[in-house]
Amino acid sequence: MEQRLASTWRMSVNEKKFIESSLLSDLRADGRRPFDYRRLTIKFGREDGSSEVQLGNTHVMAFVTSQLVQPYRDRPNEGTLSFYTEFSPMADPSFEAGRPGEFAVELGRIIDRGLRESKAVDTESLCVISGKLVWAIRIDVHILDNGGNLVDAANIAALAALSTFRRPECTLGGEDGQELIVHPPEVRDPIPLIIHHLPVAVTFGFIGKESIMVIDPTHLEEAVMGGRMTVTLNTNGDVCAIQKAGGDGILQSVIMQCLRIASVKAGDISSKIKNAVESFNTERALRKIKRHSSSSAVEVSEPAQKGGTELSRTHVGRLNSTPEESGVGQSNGMEVDGKILQQETSRRDSGAQSFIGGPSSW
Amino acid sequence: MEFVSPEGLRLDGRRPMEMRQLRAKIGAVDKAHGSAYFEMGNTKVIAAVYGPREVQNRSQQLNDQALVRCEYTMANFSTGDRRRKPKGDRRSTEISLVIRQTMEACIMTHLMPRSQIDIFVQVLQADGGTRSACINAATLALADAGIPMHDLVTSCSAGYLNSTPLLDLNYVEDSAGGPDVTVGILPKSTKVTLLQMDSKLPMDIFENVMQLATEGCKAVANYIREVLLEKTKERQKFHGV
Amino acid sequence: MRDIESLRLNQTQKLRFEKALEQLDFLSAAANSNACVAVADTILVDHQDGLLKGHGTTDFDGELVATVCGVVERVNKLVYVRTLRARYKPETGDIIVGRVIEVAPKRWRLEINFTQDAVLMLSSITTGEDIQRRQTADDELNMRSIFVENDVVCAEVRGVQHDGSLHLQARSQKYGKLERGQLLTVPPYLVKRRKQHYHYLEQLGIDLILGCNGFIWVGEHIDTKDDMVEDQVAKSEQQNENPGDNFSKETYTSVEIRQNICRAANAVRVLCALGFNITADVIIETVKLSNSVDIHEMLGPEFYVLVAESEVERRRSSKRI
Repeated sequence: MEQRLASTWRMSVNEKKFIESSLLSDLRADGRRPFDYRRLTIKFGREDGSSEVQLGNTHVMAFVTSQLVQPYRDRPNEGTLSFYTEFSPMADPSFEAGRPGEFAVELGRIIDRGLRESKAVDTESLCVISGKLVWAIRIDVHILDNGGNLVDAANIAALAALSTFRRPECTLGGEDGQELIVHPPEVRDPIPLIIHHLPVAVTFGFIGKESIMVIDPTHLEEAVMGGRMTVTLNTNGDVCAIQKAGGDGILQSVIMQCLRIASVKAGDISSKIKNAVESFNTERALRKIKRHSSSSAVEVSEPAQKGGTELSRTHVGRLNSTPEESGVGQSNGMEVDGKILQQETSRRDSGAQSFIGGPSSW
Repeated sequence: MEFVSPEGLRLDGRRPMEMRQLRAKIGAVDKAHGSAYFEMGNTKVIAAVYGPREVQNRSQQLNDQALVRCEYTMANFSTGDRRRKPKGDRRSTEISLVIRQTMEACIMTHLMPRSQIDIFVQVLQADGGTRSACINAATLALADAGIPMHDLVTSCSAGYLNSTPLLDLNYVEDSAGGPDVTVGILPKSTKVTLLQMDSKLPMDIFENVMQLATEGCKAVANYIREVLLEKTKERQKFHGV
Repeated sequence: MRDIESLRLNQTQKLRFEKALEQLDFLSAAANSNACVAVADTILVDHQDGLLKGHGTTDFDGELVATVCGVVERVNKLVYVRTLRARYKPETGDIIVGRVIEVAPKRWRLEINFTQDAVLMLSSITTGEDIQRRQTADDELNMRSIFVENDVVCAEVRGVQHDGSLHLQARSQKYGKLERGQLLTVPPYLVKRRKQHYHYLEQLGIDLILGCNGFIWVGEHIDTKDDMVEDQVAKSEQQNENPGDNFSKETYTSVEIRQNICRAANAVRVLCALGFNITADVIIETVKLSNSVDIHEMLGPEFYVLVAESEVERRRSSKRI
């Protein structure tokens, strides 16, 4: 309603007719079959809880952050999950910066319903102190490029980000046992969220008078279609949410058919997300390992490079002479650690690149 | 909490397949070109339609069809606690969009190019199923205004609690956290134009619940048709030949 | 206009009202109660060839279906649905009354209860003194001296433009700005197209203009010749004199005429609320009927009942004839 239609790109009659007539022979404008998805790539950023999804030309990023807040009065034992979208004007000329248009609100609410009402994320585990402090998880989705089917792409991005997000661990401690200590990631490993199931959104477009179904409509097809339906399902055969907001009418049998097709597609996408998350997790673990061993390797190899005579002696000498100083001087934690490690390695085989286990110190 | 007693009665004494009482009145708002007041049990809504009239914002004028605008608001006093923001919050924006797209599917917009049809719906008392009541009221108001439509649009909601599909949920049943399916159909062709669902449901149970809601919509359609016919006859009577 | 149900009729009034309704029903029953349809009802037709589908109908799977609520009319091979609450349907030559909402270059935009605003071109009105005079740039700049926003204007439909909006003209002296009266809005279907739309009610001394678009003007009678010239001349004189003298220059409308205007306006309101056709005769009769009642009582329940009863009489007598 409030959109500036003047800056919208309009579709030509020629393109419209072409899309409709080629669908009659089961062919879409970009060469896909009616029930094919476009190429989906899921990438992750360096931090936990950030993901970047590309579905054909549609480009979406999601970020998950957490904060300690007071819970709602009627739900004192549960954390909260909130979902925000940002439709950047660079994605589409009809998006305006600032206040979200009605389509942005609709997209936010579809994904919000799919995640929250179906209890995909376990909110009870987010409770820290009942009635006083709970974790509030906030998912921000930024639309970078609108190539059609923003709902599916944003949903996948949100799920991927949630799967890799880790929240800091916190324990009750302090003098009276009531103080909350939030452990920084260096001290304790952050904990992933408990996700019961992945609700995947599959969008159908209905084009033409015969209401031919297509999955994953592109930007062009969205301008032509007479109706759309977004079905959110998980791999257990449950329907989590459906949104068909007006548009052309379709028969009930067609709806059930859509649901069956969607469950197959949801399975595909779920496994893709899971694979991507797994590979991210292994890479993350590897990175942690690499960092530890690389730090000791540097310290050990330095004296080795310098001939190992004077410097190593001074190093070792300093350490030996002032063992208390290293304990007291906590200025640079890394330095101290490095020295301790060096001490340890110098005691052991200096050439060995031993794997140092224990809690991560980074 | 038990929503269906062992005898098969719900919290307000209805059977699972029973709808709440419907009441409709056409011509509730004098100044509007078409208006209606609709009640579904304790949910009361009022709808007013203005149009077709000149487009107020020239840049939005469509040269081949009418522009349909819709605004959904809930009165401050409609729910138990006073609402702080009657319109402009995300839920109202989404429901405005949903109602607009649903009505656009049935209005023959190409007969009225370069004009604007405004639909204003306000909820006076909310007790579950406000979306459905608003769509039913809007249909009545559009028919009252004499705007040509392909077909009526009627809507009804259904849910699934205590392993029973329930028709036409009220507020208590709705906030129980179970699934809520809202269906809007075009009665003549029995085609589904609006379908919204939240919370989890296995697929086969969902089919049953959707079927139940569709039956509810058909019942509403019969009632609306009767109301419209009666009003037309009454007007015709006064008008003479 | 007020709804009948909001009237508080006492018991006897209710009985009388219902009796009148029944009689109306009886009088009109023969013609058309079966023919009423709601949206999406099938219209029963014999499937002849060459059946013309008119307004308010559409084809659905080979059946003829109504798209609006109304009465089905059949004229030879044409089948259409006549709605009762629809918008005004313009035809060339209709007399309409409108309100100016915008002064644009060389034209005025009028609001006339239609899907789009109507356009009254500067070249389509008489500018006063010399009808044949060529229009100069001065005329354009002085458009505001003729009609300003919110003026009520009476005009004739010249034609329908390609984009659906109306083109108006006000070429003769009887059209133009209307002053000193009331503008009423009624649903357009209550005003039938007749030969004459201007009525001068002599006994009351008022002018009555029944616009086909549902805008009705009830005002003080002004001699139709040269009223626009009068305005122009008067205004140009005023410009030379003190602007403060404006009000004293205008003539004073007497209380009696104003009361008559109110009576006529209330009569129109009552007829509109009851849904009866509005013609000059009906209005005159209703005003006569109201002479026994105070003006503000005309909108009370007793008068409604009286009007309903007199309508029954009228229809009965017209049926006999």
